[in-house]
Amino acid sequence: MPEVDKKSKKKEQEPDITFFHPDLLSVPDDQSPPFLKGYRCNNCGQLDFPKLSPCPNCWGETFETVPLSTRGKLYSFADIYIGQPGLETPYVVGYIDLPEKLRIFAMLDGEVESFHCDEEVELTVGPIRKNQDGLPIISYKFKKTSSQSDEKGVNV
Amino acid sequence: MKLDREVYIAGVGETVFGKHKEDYDILGRQAAFQAMKNSNISRPDVIQSAYVGNAHNGIVTGQTIFKDLGMCGRVPVINVESACSAGAMAVHLAIKDVATGLTEVSIGVGAENHTLRRKSGTAFMPAMNDIEAVHGGVMTGKYSMRATRYMYERGATIEDFAMITVKNRKHATNNPHAWFKGKISVEEVVNSRMVAYPMTLHQCCGVADGAGAVVVCSKDMVQKLGIAKPVKVTGSVVTSGPYHNHPRDITGDDITEMTSELLYKESGIGPEDVDILELHDAFTIAELLYYECMGLCKKGEGLKFLREGQSTYGGKCVVSPRGGMLSYGHPIGASGAAQIASNVKQMRNECPGYQVEPIPRVAMSHVTGGGLSGTEHAACTMHMLVSDF
Repeated sequence: MPEVDKKSKKKEQEPDITFFHPDLLSVPDDQSPPFLKGYRCNNCGQLDFPKLSPCPNCWGETFETVPLSTRGKLYSFADIYIGQPGLETPYVVGYIDLPEKLRIFAMLDGEVESFHCDEEVELTVGPIRKNQDGLPIISYKFKKTSSQSDEKGVNV
Repeated sequence: MKLDREVYIAGVGETVFGKHKEDYDILGRQAAFQAMKNSNISRPDVIQSAYVGNAHNGIVTGQTIFKDLGMCGRVPVINVESACSAGAMAVHLAIKDVATGLTEVSIGVGAENHTLRRKSGTAFMPAMNDIEAVHGGVMTGKYSMRATRYMYERGATIEDFAMITVKNRKHATNNPHAWFKGKISVEEVVNSRMVAYPMTLHQCCGVADGAGAVVVCSKDMVQKLGIAKPVKVTGSVVTSGPYHNHPRDITGDDITEMTSELLYKESGIGPEDVDILELHDAFTIAELLYYECMGLCKKGEGLKFLREGQSTYGGKCVVSPRGGMLSYGHPIGASGAAQIASNVKQMRNECPGYQVEPIPRVAMSHVTGGGLSGTEHAACTMHMLVSDF
């Protein structure tokens, strides 16, 4: 009996995550736009995303957090029709190159057959998958920039 | 790896690839037993070390395979995992043992059964502690992004990619070990179910089961075992994928470029001398990119190489003569060992109905492994073999 109580209590205390990684993505409370966090090594100056510790270049162990650009170029993408077990299809993923010379892999918010290589995309925040409790996990995603989506909205 | 002394392949084995009710251990045992008999080994106490590549089937896979052959208790068995590179890595380690003089005769096996365990209609992915996997990354997507960029930069079409499947399935037509084989049209490939644009179903390797095995030995043992057609290992290279989170060209593949360069240097054999090549054609786009990465043609000329028929019979290098993964399917821990087994059989003129003519004297194999974020692949293993008879 006590063991069962302990188990259920433990589950209550430790719900699965609903926000992917506060070390990578900041969503400010004051309504200012979200941003990705880059990590600049205090020793050699290399900028990384995601955070790598120690720095793979010099093994430095202290970093300065740098807000990364919220817009980048979509280097390539994939419209996925058969995906991971448990993920709803279709969905779109892509590589986004930021001006800081960092490449981010992310899900793209938008329809299949709507993206193009080298088009501009911007950071957004949204669900990427369900957690073990069936709740959405929120993380960074990218979408067409606002001006582009408006244009597309008329045509597509 | 510099080979300190000469290493030879004594014998090889491979199962039929496809959907099997037999688990990995039965398949692995079939391939290993074949390879040992093919090496004129008729007792369980000849092999001195054994390596077994497997990715998904659990723990102590090698011992599970070898215990029923009476080899456990006599032979150290070491299990090897690096996703799709596991089987070739197992062979590499067997070669290493002989090359360093630690053993006179060793075996490398790759075995895998996916279909007994895996839900169909889902895609392979890196582990969930991988940042790309958490964000929906799958292997089909990784290759599709390469294909999409390739189309954007080079003006390639889905029809171009489909030609790889048509070619490889044709090579496999009479290969009893291959699963998907024979005539298929570009239209059928293009119109098959979309998996991840532009990769349609017939451009993706099947989720299959199977095993391959390779017995390697010293020059002395070639004599003692009475091997009539020894094949010399002139190069065996394993690399790990460099990490980078910066923009890079994904119409190339840094780890394949690096590994083939090392292999050419180690073996003293250049791409122009390679007669047959089994490469990691898990998806059509991969084979196309690797022509260039391995220097079979110049950068930017992969499509031309394919269209001119340079990668099939009568061309500069017959690529995927067994039919490749696009015909065999891809039991990920098995493929690397099975590629080598198949290459050896080609060099020994033991492929009735799918024998490359003239009989190849130089064979290369290539298998990458793992979709680890920040790398093109986590691992790459390549082998160069030369006829010595």
